[in-house]
Amino acid sequence: MSQLGKRYRCQECNTEILCTKAGDGAPLCCDKEMEVQEPKPIASSD
Amino acid sequence: MNTTDFLSIAHAICPERDCMVFGGKRRTYARTNDRINRLANGLSELGVGKGDRVGIIHVNCSQYIESYYAVTKLGAILVPLNFRAKAGELSYMIANAEAKVLLMGNRYIDLISTILPQLPTVKQLISIEGRNEGMLYYEDIIDSSSSGECICEIDDEDITILMYTAGTTGRPKGVPLRHSAFVVYVLENVEPASPEIEEKNLLTVPLYHVAGIQAVLAAVYGGRTLVLMSQFEVKEWMETVQREQATRAMLVPTMLKRIIDDPDFTRYDLTSLQVITYGAAPMPFEVIKKAIDLMPWVKFINAFGQTETASTITMLGPDDHIIKGTKEEREKKLKRLTSSIGRPLPDVEVQIIDEDGNSLPPLGVGEIVAKGSRIITDYWGNEGKSLHLLTSDGWLHTGDIGWMDEEGYIYLVGRGDDMIIRGGENISPEEVEDVLYSYSKIEEAAVIGVPDPEWGQQPRAIVVLKKGEDGTAEEIMEYCRSRLAGFKRPASVIFIDSLPRNPMGKALKRELREQYGQP
Repeated sequence: MSQLGKRYRCQECNTEILCTKAGDGAPLCCDKEMEVQEPKPIASSD
Repeated sequence: MNTTDFLSIAHAICPERDCMVFGGKRRTYARTNDRINRLANGLSELGVGKGDRVGIIHVNCSQYIESYYAVTKLGAILVPLNFRAKAGELSYMIANAEAKVLLMGNRYIDLISTILPQLPTVKQLISIEGRNEGMLYYEDIIDSSSSGECICEIDDEDITILMYTAGTTGRPKGVPLRHSAFVVYVLENVEPASPEIEEKNLLTVPLYHVAGIQAVLAAVYGGRTLVLMSQFEVKEWMETVQREQATRAMLVPTMLKRIIDDPDFTRYDLTSLQVITYGAAPMPFEVIKKAIDLMPWVKFINAFGQTETASTITMLGPDDHIIKGTKEEREKKLKRLTSSIGRPLPDVEVQIIDEDGNSLPPLGVGEIVAKGSRIITDYWGNEGKSLHLLTSDGWLHTGDIGWMDEEGYIYLVGRGDDMIIRGGENISPEEVEDVLYSYSKIEEAAVIGVPDPEWGQQPRAIVVLKKGEDGTAEEIMEYCRSRLAGFKRPASVIFIDSLPRNPMGKALKRELREQYGQP
């Protein structure tokens, strides 16, 4: 799975990041791997 | 984070996707970003820098969006001007904004030339559509400028757009909108660009309207393709949805009504549409009900907001448009569909207050007020003197009257002031009255809104002629024609002997509406 365009969230501190350039590594925060977020189910209003 | 980051993100994630489709041209995010950088560098050469105001007057086009981003990359402020505005209205807005540069389409060149002597701050005119004497040509600036990325320190709280809105007391008011106001909304509500998800947003709402700008910023952050129409035309809209396979669109109620009432509606394939957002004016129940019946595959969203709130603050979502469940649930949903603007978005607080400013419990009718980081605290150039904009504890007066149910849904009852809303455009009665009073035959005048099935409301002039004068409705409407934008002109005129007034001499609009407010 490509990281490009994916949002990642830290389960410890709730920091969220967005990947704009993919690489080999995995994002870490609070010493843990961050979790990929699924697209939000609610359609935005625009 | 600021709004230029939306473009950088989409450019990084989907550079080869079409960013804009307009006038038969398609340009990718990479190409668009390149053109924006060139334009920004060209504007910088012309002396545009941080905090400067750059005005633009034109119908929707790809250059409009490029101009927004180019100006913003320089830390400057775009001033979108209503293309229906007349000379007096325009010169007021441009002078109030102290714009340094003006960009314009061909059809506005003569108009701007006539008011230019009154605009000492304007140093440079740029023609968007072709070479014209005394002006720089937009494409020449792009061709001759460097494509290097512009680096300018932009604070989240810097102003990015100065947008003019009709005030209830005559002159348009400049609403300074900050980067943070858009960033907070977009990050909370829009999925970022993804290489896997491709969406196309058909944009017809004018870009001088906050909903148009919000849609652009949401689309860019979402890596969506913006399909632009210069102005709404019903058959072209349906043809464009079909051809481009548009997935999203934003419409004002008048536009949606025209689409579903068009005799050729069923001839077009509109099944690509996933979301239709509507707002800016009350939606007649019959219109949204028919739209749901005709397009059951579409998720409808009612978005409510103002320029002062940087657009959407409450939303009636797709689930609220699906009428099903027990009899009681269906009745509740039908009631919401009839007059609810939904629930506040997570970053906004909304409450209903009485005339003394006290918060009302559920079902209590009062003024809708809103609080949140996106809401402005003052109008442009007023430096803390914008009386009545906010309550003493910082809530924005929306001017709308409504109530809230036990589940937090807000229902609109009407306007608390005399503002008229025609097809999503706010009209200040005082601005129209000023023009009427300038007519030599008119002694007294008042303007009210009259319900209209097509436009929601139409302005009506109630006129008292000077003694011994004769006048016709046609000549008064003709007089207004050259002095007011088309949508502001009275659609009907009623002659009476005298205006009802209170002891202070103020015309009693409520009485006039009761007596003369029916179509």
